[in-house]
Amino acid sequence: MEKIQHLYWRAGFGLSPREWKAKQNLNLQQAVDELFREAGADWPVEAPPPPSERPARGMSEEQKKQLQEQERESLSQVRKDWLKRMASPRHSALMERMSLFWHGHFACQTFSGTLAFQQLRTIRKYAFGKFGDLVLAIARDPAMIRFLNNQQNHKDKPNENFARELMELFTIGRGHYTEQDIKEAARAFTGWSSNLQGIYTFRPQVHDYGSKTFFGQSGAFDGTDIIAMILEKRETAQFITRKVYRYFVNEKVDEALVEDLSRRFYDSDYDIGQLMRTIFESDWFYAPHNIGVKIKSPVELVAGIMRTLDVRFIDDKALVFLQRALGQVLYHPPNVAGWAGGKTWIDNATLMMRLNLVGYLFQLSEFNFRVKDEPEAAMGGKALRRIDATVDLEPLMQLLEGVPPEHYSERFASYLLQARPQLSTSLLNGYTSHNSNWDYARTLAMRLMSLPEYQMC
Amino acid sequence: MKRRAFIKTSALATTSLFLPSFLPASIGGPLRGSRFGKILVVIQLSGGNDGLNTIVPYRNDIYYQNRPRLGLPASEVLRVSDELGFNPGLQALRELYDEGLVSILSSVGYPNPDRSHFRSMDIWHTGSGSADYWSTGWLGRYLDSECEGCANPYHALELDDSLSLALKGYEHSGFAMGKPEQLKRTADNRFLKAVEEASRGHEQEEQVAYLYKVMANTHSSADYLYAQSKVKQSRVTFPITPFGQGLKQVAELITADTATRVYYISLTGFDTHVNQKGRQERLLKEYAEGVKALVTDLKQNGLLEDTLILTFSEFGRRVKQNASNGTDHGTANNVFLLGGSLHKPGFFNPAPNLLDLDEGDLKYQIDFRNIYATILDKWLEADAKGILQGRYEGLPII
Repeated sequence: MEKIQHLYWRAGFGLSPREWKAKQNLNLQQAVDELFREAGADWPVEAPPPPSERPARGMSEEQKKQLQEQERESLSQVRKDWLKRMASPRHSALMERMSLFWHGHFACQTFSGTLAFQQLRTIRKYAFGKFGDLVLAIARDPAMIRFLNNQQNHKDKPNENFARELMELFTIGRGHYTEQDIKEAARAFTGWSSNLQGIYTFRPQVHDYGSKTFFGQSGAFDGTDIIAMILEKRETAQFITRKVYRYFVNEKVDEALVEDLSRRFYDSDYDIGQLMRTIFESDWFYAPHNIGVKIKSPVELVAGIMRTLDVRFIDDKALVFLQRALGQVLYHPPNVAGWAGGKTWIDNATLMMRLNLVGYLFQLSEFNFRVKDEPEAAMGGKALRRIDATVDLEPLMQLLEGVPPEHYSERFASYLLQARPQLSTSLLNGYTSHNSNWDYARTLAMRLMSLPEYQMC
Repeated sequence: MKRRAFIKTSALATTSLFLPSFLPASIGGPLRGSRFGKILVVIQLSGGNDGLNTIVPYRNDIYYQNRPRLGLPASEVLRVSDELGFNPGLQALRELYDEGLVSILSSVGYPNPDRSHFRSMDIWHTGSGSADYWSTGWLGRYLDSECEGCANPYHALELDDSLSLALKGYEHSGFAMGKPEQLKRTADNRFLKAVEEASRGHEQEEQVAYLYKVMANTHSSADYLYAQSKVKQSRVTFPITPFGQGLKQVAELITADTATRVYYISLTGFDTHVNQKGRQERLLKEYAEGVKALVTDLKQNGLLEDTLILTFSEFGRRVKQNASNGTDHGTANNVFLLGGSLHKPGFFNPAPNLLDLDEGDLKYQIDFRNIYATILDKWLEADAKGILQGRYEGLPII
C-alpha cells in the first residue's frame, strides 16, 4: 500500500480516505493500469463562461475594458476549476497531474480565461501522446504566441522570443544550439500568429519563405521543419526525460536511469505515455530514497488537503487566494522558465502558512494573511480575511475501524505522511484532545497534517 | 461517531497595533552609529510611478504638448531649479531635498525595456537582462554571498506578509513580517515548537531538514523581532496608512539596533491609466511624508549617516498622456536616494530628453544595475560582480 500511495502522490494528488480503502486489494500493476485507463478516457472539462461580446475591431475603450474584465473573471474560474479537478477523486488524477507538469514546462502567462482554457485543452489532448505533436500544438497556441510575442515575428523584423524559449526551455536546452540557430529558427516561425478572437492564424504575407540554415542544414524551412529537426537530436530526449525525472521521481538525478529512459523515449518517437508507464512500472521508482523526498508544490498541497478532508470552500475565491498566498498561481508562473520548485517554494511566510493551513480549516488558529496586490488592482487590496469551508471527517474516521485508539496515530501517519517523522506518540498525545475517541482522532489528524513532514510527497 | 462533521472556519482581520507606552525615550541620547554597520532601506513604488509628473519639467513645451490635460501647470509645481519642480504631493520630500538629503537619478532603466508590470518588476528584482529569466533576487543573492551576518534570516527583512523575489536567494532568503504581533502569533505554535525540539539531533532527509531549519529560524526570529519591536517607540508622526506604519516599524527596529541590514517595503497603486492626477498626488504625499518621518527619526537618533534609502518603480510611464487623463506603461524612470551619506545631493544627471524618444518612451541613461553595484560594493561591502553576475561600473552617488 505504501507503494500505491507513493504512486498516487506522484502520478496524482494523493488518495482520499475512500480511495485508500478501495485500493487496499489492488496490486501495483493494477493500480498503474487503472491510472492510465482513467487518463485515457476523454473526460469533458467544463469551459469558463464565454465573454458577452466577441472581440472585434473598432470596439470602444469601454467595451475593451469590459471584455478584459470578463476575461479576468473567466481566468479566475479556470484557476478554481482546475484546482478542484486536481482535488476531486471523480477526475483522472494522472491527467490533471500530467497537464500540471506540461503547464509548468510550457510556462505561459495570460490574462484571458478563454486563451488559458484553450491552451489547457490542447495540453490535455497531447499530454500522453507524441511530444512532437505537443510542441507543434503549443507553437500554434494563441496564449503562447502572445506571451512570447510571436505575433510580432515578421519577415522584415523577426522577433526571436519564441524561437529562443522553444530551444532553451521547451525542447533541447542550453548549450546545443547557436545564436545563429535562434535567428534562423525565428525566421521559420514568422507569420505564426493569432487573430483578434484568439484563434491560430498563419499570415503568409509576413512569413519568410527564404532559405534558412539551421543545425548546419539549409532549406526553406518553416516552423514544423524546425521542430522536427530539434527532435532529431538526442539531446532533446535527454532534456525532457531529465525534467520528467526531476519532477516525478527525484530532484537528485540518477544519470544512468535518465540516460536509459531518454534512449527509450527517443526510440519510441517521443511517446510520452510510454515514458510515464515505464517510470511508474519500474522498481526503482518505489525505492525508499525516492519516497517522501519532494516538497509539495502549493497546488499539490492544497489539492491533497482538499482530497483528504473533502474540503468545500463556501466562497470559491479561497481557491485563488491560496494559490496566491502560497506562491503558485495557475496560468501565472513567475516567468517562462516555470516554477523552480523544491526549496524555492519555501520561505518563512509560506512555510508558516503551509503549516497552519489545516489548523485554519479546523478553526484552531486565526487566519491572518494578506497577499500582495496585483499591480492592476485599484487601491484597497484584495486581502481575504475569511476562509469559510466545510470538511467531512467521516471517511477519514472510517480508516480507524477496528483499530484500537493506541494505534490511531500509526494508522493516520501511514495514510497522511509520505515522510516519516521522528516523533513519539506520547508527544502527539500531549497536544491532542482526549475527550472522546472522535476528538482524539480529529486532533491527531490535524496535528499530523501540520507537521513539516506533511509538506513532503 | 457523528455522521458528518461540519467544521466552519472563519478568522478575522488583524487587531490594532499594540504598543506599550512606558518605553524609554531615545530622543536626546548621545549621537551614535548603528552597531551593525550600514543599513539599506528599499522602497518599491508598485504599478509604475509616472516619473514625469513626479519631477516635472515645468518649462518644457514638449511636456505640455504631450500632456495637454495631465501636465502639471508651472504654478502648481514645487520648483527646485529653473527647469524642474516636484509634484505638489512631494512637499515633505522637497524639505529633505533642501537639506541636502536627496539625490535624484533621472532616466534609470535597462536595455530593451519590457512594459509588463510582472516582467519589468522581475527584472528589477533579479537584476537580470530583459532577455534572461532568473529565479533569484539581487538581495537574495547578497544573502547567499556569505557576507558577514547574512546567515541570520532577518538580515534582510520585508515589511509584508509575503516575501518578494528580490529577497529570495538560492540558499538563503530574506524574512517577511507583516506585523510583529501577527508574526509572533502565527509562529507561537506550542506543538510545532515541541516537534522542532524533539527533532534536534536526528538525522533528516535534506529537504525535510531544510523545512525544519526554516521553521526553527522562524520561531527564533519571531521572538527576536517581536522583542526588538518593543524596545523603542518612535515619537515622530508617521502617516496612518499601512505604508506609513510599516516605515514606523522600520524606524523603530533600526533605532533598537536590530541585527537587520536591509529593509524592504512597498507602496502600491501607481498604475494610473485613468484619472491620474489626484491619485498620484495622494500616493506621493503618503510616500514623502512617510520618508520624511523616517529620516527625522533616524536623524534624532544619529543614524542617518548609516542609512541609505533607495526608491524605485518597475517602470515610468509614456510621455504622452492617454485619452482617460492617465498614462500607459513606459520605460525609464527616476530613482531617489536618500540619506546622510550622499556623495552628490540634488540632481545627479540631467532631466530626460523629451526630444529623443524611443517610440514615444524615454531612453534610459543609467542602467539600474550600476546603482545596485554601487550599493552592494560601497554600502553593503559585498561582492557586486558575483551577485549581479557581471561587472557594472560604480557611480559616484554615495
